[in-house]
Amino acid sequence: MATATDEDRLSETFAALANSTRRAILARLAEGEATVNELAVPFAMTLPSISKHIKVLQQAGLVVRGHHAQYRPCALDAGPLEEVATWAEQYRRVWEAGFDRMDAYLKQLRAEPRAGGRDE
Amino acid sequence: MSEHGPGDAVVIERSFDAPVQLIWRMWTDPEHFKAWYGPDGATVPVAKMDVRVGGTRLVCMEVQSPAGPMQMWFTGEYREVVENERLVYTESICDENGNVSSPADMGMPPGHPTTTEVRVEFAEVSGRTTMVMTHSGIPADSPGAVGWTMALDKLVAHVKTHGARQGP
Repeated sequence: MATATDEDRLSETFAALANSTRRAILARLAEGEATVNELAVPFAMTLPSISKHIKVLQQAGLVVRGHHAQYRPCALDAGPLEEVATWAEQYRRVWEAGFDRMDAYLKQLRAEPRAGGRDE
Repeated sequence: MSEHGPGDAVVIERSFDAPVQLIWRMWTDPEHFKAWYGPDGATVPVAKMDVRVGGTRLVCMEVQSPAGPMQMWFTGEYREVVENERLVYTESICDENGNVSSPADMGMPPGHPTTTEVRVEFAEVSGRTTMVMTHSGIPADSPGAVGWTMALDKLVAHVKTHGARQGP
């Protein structure tokens, strides 16, 4: 069951994604884990700035950092992204079923022109 | 098919063996709308529609759940009303008085946006009507929403291609 916390989490996901640098970081991490230094390479940004972006992504649950290694590599957690991706697909099934019903209803109207309808 | 990714919108095209005037009424006449709207087994006990730009709508859908009948209410506003051509309205989950509530509180799928937009375009060719329905999410308070949802689609596709699990 979804909770209000899920909703907050979703807002956080959206907020985290509403930034081109953070999206680029995620795209890079989709190819494999990386250290903060490695992530900083393509950007004309200081390490602290990059770290700030990574912190936002961590808070949104999109990035996890290793505990063991000295460099604490960053890795992508695609879970929140998949949540964002699912609502429309879940609705698709509902609409398809509705339109099947519309089709059946139209056939019924044709058979009995006044059934369920109003006069013109 | 849609150019949008799965996280962004549902686009469904259907063709019906009926004139466009009748398909228009399927959406705008409450009696007709109640007859088809919703998934299998759902009923629509309430459908109030003030079909004009700025007019509001209030729809109740009742579905059977293991705990008994469950009612879900939706409200919204008509944004575009061009008879037999185009209908656009917003949709939010609400209570029976039309007060908007959080989708998650109402047990909707995780990730459901607070407000969505339903756009239906109609075109009749020799007695058959083609209908294209686009149901898209309107992420609240996100700057540059359009730009980033496109980027997000690419990202989601990218993640799916590469798989969620990385590294050893």
